[in-house]
Amino acid sequence: MRSWMELKELLKKVVLLGDGAVGKTSLTARYVVNKFDDKYIATIGTKVSKKDMQLTKPNLIINLRMMIWDILGQKEYSKIRTASLSGAQGVILVGDLTRPETVKSLEAFWIPEIEAAVGKVPTVLVGNKCDLADKGSMSITVLESIGQNLEYPTFLASAKTGENVENAFATLGEMLVTDVVASRPKGAEELPQTLSEAVDFIIQDFCAQYGDLEKAMLIVQHQFEEAGVDIRKPSKDAVLQALEGLAKAEELSLTKTVAAVNLEERQRMVILAKG
Amino acid sequence: MQRDVKIETLIVMSVCVFVALAVTAFVVPFEDDNTRIFFVALAAVLVSINVAGFFMVWKASPTIIDEIFLMTPDGRLLKHYTRRLKPDQDDDILAGMLTAVQNFIKESFEEAGGRLKEIRFENYDIFISHSKSIVIAAIISTKKPEKLRTQMRLVTEDIEKHFGHKLTNWAGDKSDLVGVDIIMKKLLAGKYR
Repeated sequence: MRSWMELKELLKKVVLLGDGAVGKTSLTARYVVNKFDDKYIATIGTKVSKKDMQLTKPNLIINLRMMIWDILGQKEYSKIRTASLSGAQGVILVGDLTRPETVKSLEAFWIPEIEAAVGKVPTVLVGNKCDLADKGSMSITVLESIGQNLEYPTFLASAKTGENVENAFATLGEMLVTDVVASRPKGAEELPQTLSEAVDFIIQDFCAQYGDLEKAMLIVQHQFEEAGVDIRKPSKDAVLQALEGLAKAEELSLTKTVAAVNLEERQRMVILAKG
Repeated sequence: MQRDVKIETLIVMSVCVFVALAVTAFVVPFEDDNTRIFFVALAAVLVSINVAGFFMVWKASPTIIDEIFLMTPDGRLLKHYTRRLKPDQDDDILAGMLTAVQNFIKESFEEAGGRLKEIRFENYDIFISHSKSIVIAAIISTKKPEKLRTQMRLVTEDIEKHFGHKLTNWAGDKSDLVGVDIIMKKLLAGKYR
């Protein structure tokens, strides 16, 4: 049974929200790519960083890039906040477990604010500084209660020790791709029958996965020339040799796993093709 | 010829050539006035041709774009093109921060309305073109941006026309943008329409 693997590159905007000094910036500091100084949050109200994740689903590998907007937590700056919230597809709401009022304001202030700006979007709740909070404290009870009521995944985390920080990002990442499924048509009836059809299919598939059509065609042309593939009358041996070259190019542009899966499937397609 | 030579420089150079020829024509003891007038006229014609030629070359030369960012209005980078490798630069984050700065300026000068269209920093100019679904920011280090402004407006309109429906509430799948490279590379080469 054949198992195509499709690769999707997804880019999502995520915002970090919560009262001032709850530890939003510290939560991101260890787990994301930062290029700008934290002072930008105070000066222009926002700092952008990013986190890349790879998620797998049936027939699908998703390279997810989350652009994380760390937004000023002072409630007064509503206009800048609304502008920064625009287009957000996911939210990490952060409260400080040692300051119960910051946890309460998640429900009282931040959630209505988000819903007014971008509607209902995938959200996780994070109670930061769990290393300092007593187990069974009121803050934890309130946070978990909000999470249960709204069905938001809830994490007791610590930016200091790193506990649950990665889990919170990973969970949000999975929520962001819940509806994403492989779009490649599957089924033996769709397999190319002749060698020429198989070559045509492989070229199209390589270009689609590579992304940049112009560059992809140059790579295909180069590899076919190197392997001596006559596109009008291809031979199996030459095509199989060219596939090795295409796989090497995919190792650089995609991932080794995807390149290996693609190579195996393409080899099988060529071997089974008539002609 | 450098493409960022200003037209004023070219005119000054041509005038200098004219003056040199004209002075020579008057200083050299020609036998009659007709010969003198002939040399002066020749100098004038040569300079005119010179000025016209320089102007045509200058007008035809494209503005060199160093970098282009194609973004969504919410700050996600759709495409980035550059002539220089910048290993320390993270293009996604830079696009986000560029949007954050625009938001900040827009909100700070709310009463003025409109959007940020240009940023100048030392030798660099950043031109920004907006539509409903996209933002294009071009960084140039040469002058003569008039043609670039027009081209950016046309590119923005064309991308909006062809991809706008996909980018409204865009789910973040970059495969939705197949074909946009052709448009953007023409802009980068200064050959858009």
